[in-house]
Order: sequence, then structure tokens, then C-alpha cells
Amino acid sequence: MSIQEKAGIDPRGPRFGAAITSVLLLITVFLGLDRNTQDAGFILLAFIDALFLIGAVLGNSRHPYGVIFKKFVRPRLAAPKELEDPRPPQFAQTVGFFVASLGLATQAFGFEYGVALFGGLAFIAAFLNAVFAFCLGCQIWLGLRRIGVIRG
Amino acid sequence: MTLEAKIAIVIGLAVVAAIAGAVWRNRTGSSKSVRDGGIVNLKELAALKNGNLVTKFGRKTTFIQFSSEYCTQCRQTARLLGELEKNDDGILHVEIDITNRLELAKKFNVLQTPTTLVLDSKGRIKSRIGGAPKVNVIQDELNEIQKASFEI
Repeated sequence: MSIQEKAGIDPRGPRFGAAITSVLLLITVFLGLDRNTQDAGFILLAFIDALFLIGAVLGNSRHPYGVIFKKFVRPRLAAPKELEDPRPPQFAQTVGFFVASLGLATQAFGFEYGVALFGGLAFIAAFLNAVFAFCLGCQIWLGLRRIGVIRG
Repeated sequence: MTLEAKIAIVIGLAVVAAIAGAVWRNRTGSSKSVRDGGIVNLKELAALKNGNLVTKFGRKTTFIQFSSEYCTQCRQTARLLGELEKNDDGILHVEIDITNRLELAKKFNVLQTPTTLVLDSKGRIKSRIGGAPKVNVIQDELNEIQKASFEI
């Protein structure tokens, strides 16, 4: 199927979700920097990671933030200028899931700043998406494909 | 870690992300001129346009747009270039999904999508645009090609 033929979603939905995620990730980093609050940071990142997994598997429109957007935000907005392919933001959720999981795993195996470091990386991607409409799929998907990390 | 240090790190992270976003937005969609660009081999490209194999270049210019599956900006780019093509019969826009054509990605060194090659009337690569082309960038390209065709 060609790229144009896929049904579209409102591009502001995933960006709305990314805005919430980036705030939560910034809090995660803050908590992850201190021994006394690291456990809370770990739990928060685990929560974010679970949401990434939902987005990666079910897509953004069935993600809780997507549902909130559809119910409460979108009715207050004008109709979108154009619709977007749902697959790129879903890919971004998958990447988010991997990065956040790495943070949890490295922290669990003793790297003190695993949550803060990988939470910080995920924050940058989520922030760029929310504020600048940066599309992770456009930037890294082909590169990952070319070095063989992703198979078609 | 002191509270001040943690706050500084968190703010620093947000600032870094904001600067990275501004730099990205400034750069993406700009054109880079290609020196001694080769002539594109249409046979090797084997691009389809409305179901037919593309065998001729545009009379004035050809835009070859490489797209991929997980790419939001590819759609917008296809719409922009398609619009130009509609308004000027000397312009040809060819979109190639390189999802399963990694040999082309390698050959043309495509790392992100969309990447657009701007060809002259003979099919020689004049410049390339990484990311969704900015409208003024495309306009400059067209002006230049117009100028070149007068000189000949």
C-alpha cells in the first residue's frame, strides 16, 4: 500500500502525548539523580515505559493520552489541516519503549544513573517531538534499517 | 547531589534539547548543492509514476523524493512537490519508497527521509535536500534552474 493511501490521524494527538511524556521524563531525571529519590524515579520510568509499550503495540489512538486528546482536547480545536500516517508516531513509541527499558535494566543491574541517563535521552526525543514536530521515524528508521538493526 | 545541582542538570537538559531543536529546524529542508553530480540512471532507479515506469526526466527539472514507511514529513513533501508539478509541465516529481530498496539508499547515501534530489533537465544531480524542503528553498532551486536554461 502506498504511503498516501493509509488512513490518517490528527498529528496534534501524538504531540500532545509527547508533551505530557516529556514533562514526566524531566521529573524522572530529577528523581533519578539522587540516591534518596532514585526508587521513585525508577517507578515513574517504569510507568512511562508501560505507556510506551501500549503505544507501540496498540498505536497512539488507543494510548491513554491519545484517548484523552480525542475526548477532551480535540473537540476544542479546529479541524486539523492535514492528517498523518499513524505508523511513524507508533514507531517513535517503540523507540521510546526500548530507551526507557534500557534505563530500567541498567539501573536494576547496578548503574546508578541508568534511569537519569536514559530518561534524559528519551526526554530529548519527546521534547523535540512535542515542540518542534521532530519525527524520529524520519531521522533514524532508515539508518537503523541500513545497519541491519531493523529488518523489513 | 545538592538540590541546586539537580535543578541545574534538569534545566540544562531542557536547554540542550531546545537548542538541538532550533538547530535541527534551521537546517532541515535546506538544500546543499552537489558538485560534479552524476546523471541519474532511470533504469536503475526503476521508479513508478501512476503505475508506469519513469523513463524520461522533466523538461526543466526533476525532483526525486526518497520516502520510507515511518515518515510523517514524506507526505507533506510529496504534496508540496506534487503541487509544483501540477502547475508547471516542465517539472517532474518522482517519489520512491526505499523501504525495500536499501541498495538505492546506499547508492545515494540517504540517511533520513524524505531526501530529495534536484536534477537539471539532463538528469544531472544539482542539489539535495534532507528533510521536508522549505518552500523558499524549492523556489530558489526553481529560479536557478530557470536561469540556467536561459543561459544555454
